[in-house]
Amino acid sequence: MAETAATHPLDPLEPRDLVAPHHDDKSLNETLLDHVWRKPGKGWFMLFGLTLSALGLLVVGVTYTLARGIGVWGNNQPVGWAFDIINFVWWVGIGHAGTLISAILLLFQQKWRTSINRFAEAMTLFAVMCAGLFPLLHTGRPWFAFWLFPYPSTLGAWPQFRSPLVWDVFAISTYLTVSALFWFVGLIPDLAALRDSSKTKIQRTIYGLFALGWRGSGRHWHNYKIAYLLLAGLSTPLVVSVHTIVSFDFAVSLLPGWHATIFPPYFVAGAVFSGFAMVITLIVPARKYLGLRDVITDRHLENMNKVILATGLLVSYGYLMEHFVAWYSQNQFEFWTFYVNRATGPYAGVYWLMITCNVVTPNIFWFKKCRTSIPIMWVASIAVNIGMWCERFIIIVTSLSQDFLPSSWGIYSPTWVDWCIYVGTLGLFGTLFLLFLKFVPAVAISEVKELQLELKHAAHQKSHGEH
Amino acid sequence: MEATVLDSWVLAEFETPDVLVDATRQMREKGFQGMDTYSPYPLHGGSEALGLPPSKVPFIALCGGLTGLTTALAMQTWMNTYDYPLNIGGRPLLSLPAWVPITFELSVLFAAFGIFFGLLGLSRLPQPYHPVFESEAFRTASTHGYWLSVPHATGQDAAAVIDQLKALGATQVTVVTGEKE
Repeated sequence: MAETAATHPLDPLEPRDLVAPHHDDKSLNETLLDHVWRKPGKGWFMLFGLTLSALGLLVVGVTYTLARGIGVWGNNQPVGWAFDIINFVWWVGIGHAGTLISAILLLFQQKWRTSINRFAEAMTLFAVMCAGLFPLLHTGRPWFAFWLFPYPSTLGAWPQFRSPLVWDVFAISTYLTVSALFWFVGLIPDLAALRDSSKTKIQRTIYGLFALGWRGSGRHWHNYKIAYLLLAGLSTPLVVSVHTIVSFDFAVSLLPGWHATIFPPYFVAGAVFSGFAMVITLIVPARKYLGLRDVITDRHLENMNKVILATGLLVSYGYLMEHFVAWYSQNQFEFWTFYVNRATGPYAGVYWLMITCNVVTPNIFWFKKCRTSIPIMWVASIAVNIGMWCERFIIIVTSLSQDFLPSSWGIYSPTWVDWCIYVGTLGLFGTLFLLFLKFVPAVAISEVKELQLELKHAAHQKSHGEH
Repeated sequence: MEATVLDSWVLAEFETPDVLVDATRQMREKGFQGMDTYSPYPLHGGSEALGLPPSKVPFIALCGGLTGLTTALAMQTWMNTYDYPLNIGGRPLLSLPAWVPITFELSVLFAAFGIFFGLLGLSRLPQPYHPVFESEAFRTASTHGYWLSVPHATGQDAAAVIDQLKALGATQVTVVTGEKE
């Protein structure tokens, strides 16, 4: 056990393992690739069936919407934005944890990110795909979605670049593209490892195709290292910009409850909060199923719970400030929105669920016992996901349904089509995720090997220093 | 018909990354050129041992970013100020602050394309076939092997190079021959 303690001289405050000490390159390779070569178990097929059925609901919902128009949704006057935008913001927010883990923690040299970044980036990619569906469908005629982009059309018109909705188009498409590039660049060495440990010719050809002929050349690594770091550097402001721009969709309007300067930071904090919760929700069962306890250790989970606690407090501060400013400004419409409509109005139930899930729940992570208990953190992470969905519901629906003139007030309730599409995107996300877990290494193998070497070197140096 | 030009490499496997980096440096000091190392992850001090000049990727990224920046500013200004002026609530036709978000996004996008395609271009990837793949043992280079390649004139005796590599700690040495890159 002396060896275990000696592997962490860099970080005396963190006594627990990042990589179980009994591994070398070869065994890491076998452990981390095992789930790709192994035939998926019964559990995988059952889950896959479940997510495929949910995906079927998406097909039904989207087909019906396309055939009949978006009138089949619950949207009405005055609630013109509802499930479509709620789910869009929710999914984009979930994506943010992936970029935060892979980019920002890389720049801060947080070594614990190494075993979870691939996983979180995949989550980002799939979440942004789900998010993108909603505004596309909400245009009503998605087959004209290319009108959103500036192209020389026979209409002779250009997009209106002062509109946050056009900013959104650029922000989301850039985010999706850059996340995909970052993910793929990180994957190349591991695809080569898959190619070189494959047993059949077909596997070797397919993985070889995607590995682009990567051979681990020192001359390639030389460019690769800096390219990866620069992509991380670019993703860092990008991730902050994306949810900032999403929040502009609201903040730039004049609606009470939306027209607030706190929106950008408050949205970004909420995004990271919900994203980390989603990582916990997914990684707890996945690491058990994939047998990855040696590299995704309890310490990783505990660190993520600390991030959830920190961002949860930021979100709570956001709520507090919104309410404070609504009172301090003495604007009667703002006051009405926050103190009467949201807290006691027709959607008060959703509001109090949001407060319970987002403000109360994360505080259990002050206690180490809760931070390290798998069942508690899993349930809490789901509560946070629900809470953050409620937050978007509250922001969008309460503000729209009761604005300035009582004569124009209305009530919103979702239809079965809304629910179909929402549950359907959960199915799409789950399906893509299960396919990812089957075909691609869920942990960045080359990075874990590099980390392991670093830890060994550090341990070696320390033991020399002591003698 | 032109004769196919062939290249040969002496491939040597080493036990650990440190021995490989050491051997690379010593071989380079002896005057060998055009060598390359192969490893499952970047070697600490590997670029220095090979004597590589600074990477061009950051410069390409900068060019990409600047291209995105100018494209976005020019596009928005021309489209909304000159070609199709839109009066939105009396705001100036050239509203630079409103141009900022898209300018930022396009700069990031073009810089990312620069990095990605720059990396592929500089590494001459995708390149599905390379003569080093002729050696079955070399497949460990992406999993747990540490290899060094030394270029060598086709048809000549490689014994001297092989001996030197073995003296530096190589555990196995082979010669591969293939078409010129």
